[in-house]
Amino acid sequence: MTAPPDGWPEKAARVAVRLFWIGARSLSVIALLVAWEVLAKSGAFTPFQLPALSKVVERIWSDAVSGDLAINTGLTLYRALTGFLICAIGGVVIGMAMARNKIANWFFDPIVSIGFPMPKIAFLPVVILWLGVYDVSKITIIVIDAIFPVIAATVIGIQGVERELIWSARNMGANNRELLRQIILPAALPQILTGMQVSLPLCLIVAVVAEMLMGGYGLGGAMITASRFANSVGVFAGIVEIAVVGYVLVKAMAILRRRLLIWHQEAHDPTTA
Amino acid sequence: MKALIRYSPLLLIAIAWELSSRLGLVSQLALPPLSDVVAAWIEMIKDGELITNGGASIYRALAGLGLAIAIGGVLGIAMAWSKPINVLVAPIVEIFYPLPKSALIPVTVIWLGFGDGSKILLIFLGCMLPVTIGAFNGARSSEQVLVWSARSMGASRLRMLWDVVVPSAMPELLNGIRTALALSFILLVSSELIVAQKGFGYLIGSLGANGTYDAMYAVVLTVAFLGFAADRLYLLITKRTLAWREQNP
Amino acid sequence: MNAPAQILVENVNHMYRPPRGREVLALDQVSLSVANREFVALLGPSGCGKSTLLYLIGGFLPVETGSITVDGKKVTAPGPDRGIVFQHFALFPWKTVRGNILYGLERQGMPKEEREQRAMDFIHLVGLSGFEDSYPSQLSGGMKQRTAIARTLAFDPKILLMDEPFGALDAQTRGLMQAELLRIWQRTPKTVIFVTHDVQEAVYLADRVAVMSARPGRIKTIVDTKFDKNDPDIFKNKFFVEKVDEIWNLVKDEALKAQGKRA
Repeated sequence: MTAPPDGWPEKAARVAVRLFWIGARSLSVIALLVAWEVLAKSGAFTPFQLPALSKVVERIWSDAVSGDLAINTGLTLYRALTGFLICAIGGVVIGMAMARNKIANWFFDPIVSIGFPMPKIAFLPVVILWLGVYDVSKITIIVIDAIFPVIAATVIGIQGVERELIWSARNMGANNRELLRQIILPAALPQILTGMQVSLPLCLIVAVVAEMLMGGYGLGGAMITASRFANSVGVFAGIVEIAVVGYVLVKAMAILRRRLLIWHQEAHDPTTA
Repeated sequence: MKALIRYSPLLLIAIAWELSSRLGLVSQLALPPLSDVVAAWIEMIKDGELITNGGASIYRALAGLGLAIAIGGVLGIAMAWSKPINVLVAPIVEIFYPLPKSALIPVTVIWLGFGDGSKILLIFLGCMLPVTIGAFNGARSSEQVLVWSARSMGASRLRMLWDVVVPSAMPELLNGIRTALALSFILLVSSELIVAQKGFGYLIGSLGANGTYDAMYAVVLTVAFLGFAADRLYLLITKRTLAWREQNP
Repeated sequence: MNAPAQILVENVNHMYRPPRGREVLALDQVSLSVANREFVALLGPSGCGKSTLLYLIGGFLPVETGSITVDGKKVTAPGPDRGIVFQHFALFPWKTVRGNILYGLERQGMPKEEREQRAMDFIHLVGLSGFEDSYPSQLSGGMKQRTAIARTLAFDPKILLMDEPFGALDAQTRGLMQAELLRIWQRTPKTVIFVTHDVQEAVYLADRVAVMSARPGRIKTIVDTKFDKNDPDIFKNKFFVEKVDEIWNLVKDEALKAQGKRA
């Protein structure tokens, strides 16, 4: 059966199907939001324990209008993304060194292997001791925490490059530098991107936690201030804002991955953190 | 011998630490010599400060993690086993998956204050997710063939659950628990650093505020090491349980 | 008639050293001489070292004992004079068909217009016109292998090293590819060393078939298989069948030995 010609009824039908699927997927979100509002208004919890969704939305809106939302979100994003950039570049560089150089591997391997399961956030007070209470400390602890997945993924990616790809390239006359840039890195890219996709949400979380500890501006700082003033609406607003920012970042990264790996069989998205 | 070579960079770092501090290459205030840190550590063990706080922390982590494993494990398997439960619970899991659990620190404080309750709740909520997802994926993948074989041998649905589904789900479930274990340490330390009156995190904070940096370093290293050791210990224990699995995790 | 051999393998041993476990002798005193533009098949059971020998000639593995010379010069590293085609294609997945074929030409420093033209010529040659902008993940097995062959032929190596290139294809595609390879080789003759475990394939394609023993690999016998391959019904041709039979009997024992060793 051949496809019918594209008149406007057919086009409208296609759009409707698209919207249906978006709607179906959003159903769970909508259901939860509805449940929230109902539960809050039901009296099962006090307005302090569970403020109404409507009140929280009001608060977010007023923050947006006053510019506070932009300032806080912007600051947290600035810290998280700067940290991420350093993790991405530094992680790949260290990973490359580890995969190709025996000494680099000998030196970094125990650090990475022991560091991975450690709650590295515990080092935040040490970082503050060294670098003060400014953004540089926040960015440093972000890097300490989130560089590990990038390093590990880079090492695995590079070591996993098929021997025959390397041999084919050498067969065609590629020298070592060309081999690295033109063959090894592109071949390892899917794995490296996976590591970055794990690292990005981690950068956001650590940024928020660091802000909570150090106070001041930023989504985390605003939340902890709200909690100190027993302002539960503010706290819930913060949760929603962070959730949204996190979702947007993860989605953006997924789209970037799909673009870069257009040639990949599955262009598969790893699970969101 | 091999282990010595493998971990020798750490030894070098320790030596570099001690020397650079003692020789004044870096500020002795910001980086007290390793030997001082060790001495402070021993002091805190002797006067019980480390033990009391450590005990509080470990209690919170175990309680939260234990609850998460028990409830999350059952929930995950139930979701894989029963369609209606899945339909009900899955959306909730999906929503909370991308939410950074540390963002819940202020809310748990609002609900349960500064003490044990808020930490246990935080760890429970945070760790539930990886355990549930691990249990769910593991139970879902229990091979159809195995289930049918058990069925044909006359197993009742409940029996099948226990004899086939749960063992098949083990590898993924145990992996989920491993993630939860690491997460529990992170949530514990984060929340104790920010809002607590006892525990490792609190101790680090108060020692830092007092300027007793060598003791602060001692506690930081203790917590970091515990996180690492817990993971390794967990791997050791679970390796036995997974001995029947042919391929390596 | 007695031109100096183009490829000369003399008394080569090769030790296989796995990351864990004992080292094992893969090749034992192997000697072989291949004339210019000859098509030689290396035939033997699994594990006999035929691919290893190919990799040594290609310069991908170091020659530790004995020597391998090509046109009088010792082989020490891979190079574009010995083009290789692998069983699992080894195409660069992030490059299109055109991009893959261009890679070797870019490394040669060929000017842009010339290499674009040459790439298209080879795409036509292997019958992939219309697919030049497809990625390997979008191609079938046969098409991937044709791309791999085009890629290697494009930079015009004197010698073609083929490692069971049709092993990953289904039987029908394999038959078509064999005929196509013969056609291409007859048009642009090169020296070919072709590794296979399929006796019929070896007799069909090659001028000479070197039968190898089970591990440790030795050249057991070399059988002459040069005759007119253009008979459309060649696989039923009496002479062909006799040759296959003769060689199969040589291989049979080795195949059984290889099985035994694995158990």
